[in-house]
Amino acid sequence: MKGYTGKILKVDLTTDKSHTRSFDEKYARKYLGGQGFAVEIVFHAVPKDADPLGPENVLAMAGGLFDGFPVGTGGKVAFAAKSPATGTLAESIMGGSIGPELKHAGYDALEIVGKAARPSYIFIEDEKVEVIEAPELWGKDTRETPEILKRKHGWDVKVACIGPSGEKLSRIACIDCDDRQAGRAGLGAVMGSKNLKAIVIRGTHDLVPADPRGLLEIALRYQKIYEAAPSFVEDTKYGTGEFLGWVNKEKGVFPTRNWQQGVFNEREKIDPYYWAPKYVTKNKACFACTKPCGKLFEVKGGKFMGVAIDGIEYETLYSLGGACGNSDVESVARANELCDLYGMDTISAGVTVGFAMELVQRGIVTEKEVGFKLTFDNASDAVPKMIELMGKREGFGDVLADGVKVAAQRIGKGSDRYAIHTKGMEPPAYDVRGMKGHGLAYMTSTRGACHLRAGFYAPELVGKFWKWEGIDRFSPVNKGYMVSQTENFMCVYDSIGLCKFSRGFYLIAKLPEVIKAITGMDFTEDELLKIGERAHNMKGAFNAREGVLRKDWLLPQRILEDPIPDGPSKGSKISVEEMNMMLDDYMKARGWSADGVPSPEKLSELGIE
Amino acid sequence: MVKMLVPYPENCTGCRFCEMACSIYHDGKVNHSDARLQVHRRGVKIDFPSVCTHCVSCDDNCCVLHCPVEAIKKEDGRVYVNQEECTACGTCVEVCPFGVMRMEEKAFNCDLCGGDPTCVKFCPMKAIVYEEPKPEQYEKVKNLLKAEEGPQ
Repeated sequence: MKGYTGKILKVDLTTDKSHTRSFDEKYARKYLGGQGFAVEIVFHAVPKDADPLGPENVLAMAGGLFDGFPVGTGGKVAFAAKSPATGTLAESIMGGSIGPELKHAGYDALEIVGKAARPSYIFIEDEKVEVIEAPELWGKDTRETPEILKRKHGWDVKVACIGPSGEKLSRIACIDCDDRQAGRAGLGAVMGSKNLKAIVIRGTHDLVPADPRGLLEIALRYQKIYEAAPSFVEDTKYGTGEFLGWVNKEKGVFPTRNWQQGVFNEREKIDPYYWAPKYVTKNKACFACTKPCGKLFEVKGGKFMGVAIDGIEYETLYSLGGACGNSDVESVARANELCDLYGMDTISAGVTVGFAMELVQRGIVTEKEVGFKLTFDNASDAVPKMIELMGKREGFGDVLADGVKVAAQRIGKGSDRYAIHTKGMEPPAYDVRGMKGHGLAYMTSTRGACHLRAGFYAPELVGKFWKWEGIDRFSPVNKGYMVSQTENFMCVYDSIGLCKFSRGFYLIAKLPEVIKAITGMDFTEDELLKIGERAHNMKGAFNAREGVLRKDWLLPQRILEDPIPDGPSKGSKISVEEMNMMLDDYMKARGWSADGVPSPEKLSELGIE
Repeated sequence: MVKMLVPYPENCTGCRFCEMACSIYHDGKVNHSDARLQVHRRGVKIDFPSVCTHCVSCDDNCCVLHCPVEAIKKEDGRVYVNQEECTACGTCVEVCPFGVMRMEEKAFNCDLCGGDPTCVKFCPMKAIVYEEPKPEQYEKVKNLLKAEEGPQ
């Protein structure tokens, strides 16, 4: 079996024991790698009604099938566990080098169970696996931690770690590697709950593809395609925020001031076309990315002097920018840096601050309770300040540190009317009132509001994608079927470890060639989509077992009741009828019950036990 | 005009694709430590490639001079290891100021892929360029490597 190590490493933090199990080609063909492996592990290993922050939860990490091989942008690693934010089986994908390193160490996936008695980290050096106590790392941020560990183990080791937020079990805590984050669904808190500060890996084994010459030839061919594409210039010059102006001004679906508006009038100030020439000092890339969207953003003067981050990403320009009414890009960068250092997801953290700002605006929360002026017009100072308090869990920051759903429960007084989330996860930067299929995708996403489970923003904003043309973003018709299809599609990319920004270059029909060069195995497009469907159904079945059903998927009140008040999407909302129609269509397309339970026939068809 | 790999640290994104491409081109497998060039990442601010300069910038041609069995030669401006004479003592690996003399069973180094370097083809940001040698760029890399050794 070429291209795979054929092994999964299990580390039990409670007993300090590890063991390796082998898998065969049948398993590889069923789950492919990356997310597929991570979801399979969690699906079978986490008991019913497990406490996400208890030792019975399982954290899985798996490099994508492409990880470690020369495929441009193919270096993504997947984490998965039962999420403390949503109570669902949630995965989070990042571009850190830890996935390829795990494969060089001889493992396709890592399964972490139990809980260490004291703060510890896992050290893997090929066959040597240790759980090492390190109380001195507790409290260190996500830059200090790898620095200390690399001094000890050598500069070539790769480190994934959590910051103080993960230690303090914040439900919006992320996992960091190389200043990239597996941000969503609070998986950093799962590490924290296990007393697991970091995973440190050195892998020295060869990775051997089935057809090295062929693989290099394919890589070169795609490199030329990348470099000829207009998006190459946009990504390398401006990063993912490149289309912010278009989403905001042309489409009017850039959620602003906690989703009170769909257009941010101060957009120019946070648009990378403005800030990139001034603040970007060089490009940054994920492992294996040859069309880098990462930027080193440096602030060299003023009150935020010294800030240096890999950013600012589109989603963060929304969450810590527009969603908080924050048009000071230096402040956004500082808040981003604080999120990174404390180890918090920038989307969830920013949306939560914006939510609190609206509560202050409405008098539900007072300045006295917060301790300072947490208002949209004081965003430049207030956003970084609030983020720091959330990272420390101090004062009002402790109220907000678990995201909007928990914060609304703590605050009460009808504040849940303004808490924007589905399944307990804060939404990304697309106002779905003007993108109805994407709204459905926020509901059906197994890990809560997400733009990347279905990636349906692209079809609706562009109007065409994959096998469809003339897609109307204001129409709910046929969206159930389309979202179910694109979810399967995206699961494939998360399993092979290819960046989703390359999905347009490597549309699914083009993947079998690459997979064959790496593994020697033949796949058809339909077989790949079946693997995606299997992964999604496993998540769906897990969530149904945990009692997360259709009633828990629904859109927040604001999206159902308050139309977008201004801009090109003015007057649009998703009505309850439209929501139900899309959900009915979706369940039918999936072969699930109206409540959102995968049918026994569907599970048996997909070989899920 | 003799051409060499010239590193531009300010352009490097730290993606390490060049290492993979080098390794697979020469050996048919991926192993970063066998790549004939090495990418370094230090914190959020620093990424840079270290390439074999074929001693155009080493006044004393370190590896050539220090090889105890004279297995390393310089011809037509290119440094290469005579595989039959190499005793794998590791001296060249230790003295190479760029850390790009590598060792498996015998020592080996960059061969410029016969004049069409693979790494360059995968570096769209032009952190490695195949052109006339630029000593000032090699100095930059030397200084970055020195900084790595010192206190952080």
